[in-house]
Formats: sequence, structure tokens, C-alpha cells
Amino acid sequence: MRYVLQRIVFSVASLFVLVVITFTLGHIMPGDPAIAAAGPNAGAERIAEVRARMGLDQPLIVQFAIYCGNVLRGDFGVSWFTHQPIVNDLARELPPSLELVIIAMTINLAIALPLGLVTARYHGSRFDDLVRLFAIAGAGLPIFWTAILLQQTVAAQWDLLPLSGRISFENRRFEAASGFFLFESLLRGEFRIFRDVLAHLLLPAFALSLLFTAVGVRITRTAMIGEFRKDYVVLARAKGASEARIMFRHVFPNGATPSLTVFGMQFGWMLGATVLVEEIFGRPGVGRYAVKAVTQNDIHSVVAVVFVIGVVFLLANLLVDILLYLLNPAKKRGL
Amino acid sequence: MRAILSLPKTWIERIALVIALLILFLAVFGPWIAPYDPTQIDLRNRLAPPSATHWLGTDSAGRDVLSRLLAGAQVTILSTVTVIAAALAIGLAVGITSAFVGGTLDNLLMRFSDIWLSFPPLILALGFAAALGASLEAAIVALIVSWWPNYARLSRMITADILTRKFIASADALGVPTHRKVTHYVLPNAFDVMIIQVTLDIAAVMLAISGLSFIGVGAQIPAPEWGVMIAEGRSHVSSAWWTVTFPGLMIFVTALGFNVVGDMLRREFDPTLQRRG
Amino acid sequence: MHADAPHVADPLLSLRDVTVALREGARTMVSGVSFSVGRGEIFGIVGESGSGKTMLTRTLFGLHDDAVVADGRVSFDGKDIPVAGYQRHMRRLLGRRIGLIAQDPYASLNPAMRVGMQIAEALYLGRGIPMRSARARQIAIELLRDVGINEAERAVDQYPDQFSGGMRQRIVIAMALSQEPQLLIADEPTTALDAITQRRIVDLIVERSRTRGVSVILISHNLELLRQSVDRVAVLYGGQLLNLLPAAEIGTRPAHPYTEALLACMPGRVRRVEDIRAIPGDPVGAGAGRIGCAFAPRCAHAVPACATAPLPLNDGLAGRFSACLLGMGA
Repeated sequence: MRYVLQRIVFSVASLFVLVVITFTLGHIMPGDPAIAAAGPNAGAERIAEVRARMGLDQPLIVQFAIYCGNVLRGDFGVSWFTHQPIVNDLARELPPSLELVIIAMTINLAIALPLGLVTARYHGSRFDDLVRLFAIAGAGLPIFWTAILLQQTVAAQWDLLPLSGRISFENRRFEAASGFFLFESLLRGEFRIFRDVLAHLLLPAFALSLLFTAVGVRITRTAMIGEFRKDYVVLARAKGASEARIMFRHVFPNGATPSLTVFGMQFGWMLGATVLVEEIFGRPGVGRYAVKAVTQNDIHSVVAVVFVIGVVFLLANLLVDILLYLLNPAKKRGL
Repeated sequence: MRAILSLPKTWIERIALVIALLILFLAVFGPWIAPYDPTQIDLRNRLAPPSATHWLGTDSAGRDVLSRLLAGAQVTILSTVTVIAAALAIGLAVGITSAFVGGTLDNLLMRFSDIWLSFPPLILALGFAAALGASLEAAIVALIVSWWPNYARLSRMITADILTRKFIASADALGVPTHRKVTHYVLPNAFDVMIIQVTLDIAAVMLAISGLSFIGVGAQIPAPEWGVMIAEGRSHVSSAWWTVTFPGLMIFVTALGFNVVGDMLRREFDPTLQRRG
Repeated sequence: MHADAPHVADPLLSLRDVTVALREGARTMVSGVSFSVGRGEIFGIVGESGSGKTMLTRTLFGLHDDAVVADGRVSFDGKDIPVAGYQRHMRRLLGRRIGLIAQDPYASLNPAMRVGMQIAEALYLGRGIPMRSARARQIAIELLRDVGINEAERAVDQYPDQFSGGMRQRIVIAMALSQEPQLLIADEPTTALDAITQRRIVDLIVERSRTRGVSVILISHNLELLRQSVDRVAVLYGGQLLNLLPAAEIGTRPAHPYTEALLACMPGRVRRVEDIRAIPGDPVGAGAGRIGCAFAPRCAHAVPACATAPLPLNDGLAGRFSACLLGMGA
């Protein structure tokens, strides 16, 4: 229990650092933001007025405190190009990206964990060599390039999956209060829509996951190989345990621990990489939103995205830590 | 150099080493050996398929794809090297100092690095681009800022480990000053591990740069950067596949080459990976 | 006991001219080893690091990843085990008739599994008792008590990291005994422990085995420890079996030159420090794959023929054997 508290404290501290970073980002713009906000023809008086209104004449510490307060209330300001409160924009754009990452992460785990386990068991075999080759190759594939290629072949030429978008034209009126099309359609029993949304997710999620899966396979494999060499595996064999039992009941629970940590971090990295596939597949999401904001020089929107993604990252890591704590008894005593 | 050439054990590794060296060569001499001027526009010849005159075809502005690829090697590699060199310098400085100073400062710095490492570099780069304007320089700065904690943590770990070894105690007894300890004890021992990390990072940074350029916050059109080329060719991909496929292939092959070389180095130098006897 | 070293009648395990080689490259690591272990006999194998003792034993019982039984005859409980598919055949016997106690107690137990469950797993695999049954739990508690773990009721639900090295080794012993094996292999069970615990653990293994009539193969690099604990000792060097003799004869009757040399360089007996002699030269590893005696280059009595002539034959059933060409220790 003490361990969990420790992790939570660490997360809060990290959150604070995150706030500092985003605050810094928001204030390193060259030039005077008051001038930009006041408009091209503003006189000195008007500029001073704007500066006071924006709180820019206060000492940095005070500005920071105001910023913290705002963030805690969920006030990130107003976006310059949507003219909406940024927090509303985020509420709209975050769920589609999260859905994408969740599916991509599922693909990742579904491939990396078994492959890592099996190649560790049969390491040195041809199968192992082949998988390792693919894993190394996969780690070099640019996500956006893979996405384009997949889109061209699987969607355009072979017509197996939808080309772009989040949902088919015929289902375009589907509304989800939470913003999560996938889960809401499932919960409401609308399976046709669920299948549709899933079909639109598969290609981008796969493209997104490829690089991370390649890395995941190697990390899992190394961890599992380490476990297979340990004496308790030899003892388990001496007890008469079958290879299957050894793989699933002994090696996997112990070997998964270090790899789970990495997978937790990958969740956050994937979220950051969604921008690469959202553009290509014409999907809404925080990535596209952030890019749009950049082209409009809307620093606050981008900073808000940085913050939100950072929060998601911290949450994912915290969850993984808690999961590990539950799985691995040694951690229970703070070892 | 001879030592490096003797390392490859499989044909994959040999090819990878050749690729890596070739890319480095192109990074320096690329634009000179290009058959055409990479920036020369020829609108009558746009989107021409690969042929005898244009081995890899032409892009949407009629520029020779092959020449742009060769020129792009320079842009990409130089940017990558800049990022890594700067991140390495900062990381080493912070990490080694942290290890020498020790105590709370050390702890804090490492926690800080841990947190810093968690942010996806791409998003951070977007932030910088928004603040500084979208450009290759902004992307490079963003990546440096994202990457240095990696090296800080690594160098701190190595330094802390070296500081516990006996030969440091004897150096202390001899009165060796700190800066000499760094140059003569820490750096030589750290070199092996760092080299592995750097080689592996080349691929990662390169992917990041081309990714950023692709979405428009790195190198800008009309620079011959590989990511930019893919962005430019994207709208024509169904009719002119060569505008997208070849730049992507370049990125892939380069990343693959450096990854394999990095793995090869790791196999040779990383003692923790040695098989139990 | 076997003071007279007669032939081993009705052996539990019998090796005849066994060769162990690496899978890759078929490099011979251990060659021409013949000995037998009687039922209920406590049998010791001694050798320096690299002598091949661990590789031989692990491979014999199908537990070595990189080596195989390449040649020779092995029979267990009267049944021959064919060289082809050796590992497969041997694996079937594991868990029901053969148990293992390994060197490092800190690595021998699954860190993520409760101690009681690991014993229960052994019970399930060896005797078919359901893992989560009350009976399994009861037997586990009794076994833990039997090996000297107090508060067995509480211990059964704890994780390995909550126990010291000596206690973990006891748990491993309990686990091995739980399957009611005919043969226990103790592969350097005390190397990771302090001297006092070493004594206790070896005594525990020997005592519990004797009461149950279980044969034991006790492997160690410590000849003195074996001399005090086992019935007979096999001496391995450079992948060759150089000497086989009753423990009682060690130090009282002339043995193979290598055995004598081992005795001479060990402290612990009544001996002045000045009398301890290191064996000159470096030990040779198993796998040199030679003809002639592996110890010849370092042997004080060696003649040129020792390095080239084949070693004397050993039918494997003898109570005593010496591989010395000059007949020393026979």
C-alpha cells in the first residue's frame, strides 16, 4: 500500500513538472504576445491595456500561479482558430485518439507478448531468427510511410478496409456522448456501427502499432529469455512440469513485469505519434488538432495538447505500476 | 576502423554496415554526385515514372527524385547528427556532474530526467514549432530538448558505477583532480556504452525528424528532406507511387542499417548481454 | 554400508561408458564415464569447476539445454534408456522418480509464486494431488515442518523472498521430497550458503533420504564435505572419471593421484597450513576430448604413456575404481 502511495506522490510531482514545462513553452515565444493579441494598429495604450488584461505585467511567479489555477479548473484558454474554449476542443478530439491508441496497443500486446514468449523459448531456432529479423526491420519503418502504403494497398487497391475517416458516410449521424464511438456503440448494442467504427480503426491502428510492436517483441523476448535461463525453470522441469506449464505459469508472469513497464510508456508515445496517422487517414484527433494549431500559431492549444498527453502518459504509467504491484508480490514489501 | 570492419558476423550485418557507411558518405558528398540539380523544377516533366533518364522518376515539380534523395541524405543526416551531438553534450555534462555531486541534487536531476523522458518527442516538437515557428531549426531544438535526458541518465549511471570502482579510490589517493578523472577515467569507460546508444538513436532521431517534416513542422517545402518529399508526393501517390515509395525506402533502409549496426556493437561491447558460461 | 566396495547389485542408476557432448559442434565434454548408484545409496561426485560434473548430471537427467548424451548405456531402475530421444525418455521420469536440488537457493524458487503452491505443484505433477486441495496444503505444511521450517502454517502462504538462503534450500528439499522420488540429485546444494548452514543442509538431505530409502547423488567441489556425508565418491576431472571409492577410504587408503592431490590441498583436516600443497598448473576443462589421462600434465607420478594410452576399463558396477594407468588407487 505504501508503494502505491509512493507512486501517486511521484505522479503528482511529475504533474507539477509537466505544468512547469507547459508554462515555459507557452512563454518562450519570441516577440511580445500582448502586441500580437492587441492587433496590428494598436497604440501603446491599447497594448498596455491588453497586457494588463492578459496578466502579462505581473511577475512570472504570479503568472505561473494563475496558470496553475487555470489548469486545475480545466481552463486552458480559448483557441485562436476554433474560437472555442480549448478544453471543449480537447474533449472532442481526445477520445478518437484514445480509441486509436487503445486498439493499437491491443494489437501490440497481442502480437508482442506471445511472439516474445515463443521466440524466447525457441531462441536460436530459425523461427526465432526470422522473427528477430522482422522485429529489427519493423523498428525502422517510418509510421507515416507505412500508413500511406497500407492505405494504398489494403484500402485503395484491394478494398479490404475503409480508406479514411472514422465512420462510414451512412452512419455519419452517430452520436456518442462520451466521444468514444467504439465503446458506446458496443454498450448500446449497435453492432453494425461497432463493426463499422472498428473497420475504420484497424488500418491506422495497425500502421501506428507496427514500430512499437517490433520494439515490444524484442523487449519481451529479452525479458523472457532471462527468465528461461533461471534455475527455477530447471527445477520446474525437474518437477515434471510440461513446457506449456513452464511458459505460462512460471516464465510469463515473471518475465512480463519488466516488459509491462515499457508497454506502459509506449502508450504515451503512441498517443504522441497519432498525429502521423490521423492526417493520412483523415481521422479527427489531438494530433491533427495540434498540427492545425501550429500552422495557425496558436501556441496555447498546442501547449494544452502537450499537457493532456502528458497527463495521459502519467496515468498510464501509474496504472501499470499498480498492476505490477498487484502481480508481483515482491513489490508489496517495497523491494 | 579495422576493428569495426571486422565485427559483422552475418550477411545482414555486413550489408547493414555497408549501408550505414554509404549513408554517411552520401551525407557529405550526396549533392555532388547527384545526376541532376535537386532543386531544378521542370514542370513539363512532372510525375514521370522511373526511366533511363530519371532512374527513380520525377516528383510533382519535375525534379529528379534520385537527386533529391541524395541531397536529402545530407539534410537528414546533418540534422540527426546535430540533434544527437548537442543532446549528448548536454546529457553528458548534466549526467556526469550529477553523479559526481551526488546526494539530493543527483536524485532530483534523475527524477526530473525520468519525467522529461516520458513526453513524446513529437508533441514536444509541435510545441516548439508553435512557439518558434515551424522550421527545421525549431524541430532540431525540440528534439535536442527531448533527447538529452536519455544521455544524462545513461552517463549518470555509468559515472556512478565507475565512481564505486577501486581504481577511483587509488586515483583519489594520488590526488588526481576531478576534471582529469572525467577525461581519463569516466569518458573512456563510458565510450562503449554510449556508442551503442548513439548508433541506435540515429535511427530513432531520423524517424522523428522525417516524421516532423512530414506533418509540416520540421524541414519545410521545398527542402529535399525525405519526410518532406513524402508529404509532397502524397497527393499523387495513386498515380505516381515512386514519389512516396523511394523516399520512404531511404528512411527505412537507413534506419534499418543503423539499427543493425547498433545491435552488432551492442553484442560486442555490452557485457550485460554476455551469455552465461 | 560399502566398506569392502563390492559390486553394486541391482543398481538404481547405471552408467556404462557414457559420453556427453555439446549439441552445437558435437564437442565431447565428458567421456567414458561408468558408475552405478545403488538403491538407498548416498553417492557423491566431486570435481573442480569445469570438470564436467554439473554438465554430466544435468544432461543425464535431461535438464541441460546445450548438451546431450552422445554415447554409452544408461539404465534407470532396471530399464535401459536409449540414446536416441534420450531427453524425451528421461523427462518422463522427472517429477515422479527423480528430484533435483540446485545450487542457488535464491534462484531455485519462482519469486512470483507462494511457497506452498510450489510444493503443491510438485505434488500435483508427481502424485496427481489437486493443487488447491486441502490435502495438498496439509502435506505441504507437514513437509515444511519436516525440513525444519518453524511456523509451517504461516510459511506455506509466504513468498520465497521472505526466507533466508538456508530456509529456501530447505523448501526446495521439501519440494523435491514431496514427489517421493527414488533418486535425489543435489547439485552443489550448499555452495551459496555459509559453513554452518552447509553442514545442516547436507545432513538434512542425507538424513531424510536415508529414512525414506531414497538414493542421492550429491555433487560438490568440496571433497571433505563429501567424505563426511556420503557412502561412495566419484572423482571427476577434465571430463573423465578418474576415481571411484568408498568415502571411508578417503585418506586412509591410497587413492588415485588426483584424489590424493585434492586431499593434500584442502584445509580442514588435521593439517598444518604449511603442508597444504596447491596442485601445480591450471585445471583443464572438460571437453579437451583427449586420449590418455586428463590429469597427466599435472601429475607428479605421470609417465609419458599416461598422456597417450587409453584409460583402464570400468564395468560400472564395481564398488571401487581407479583410472590410473600405473594402478595407483586401484
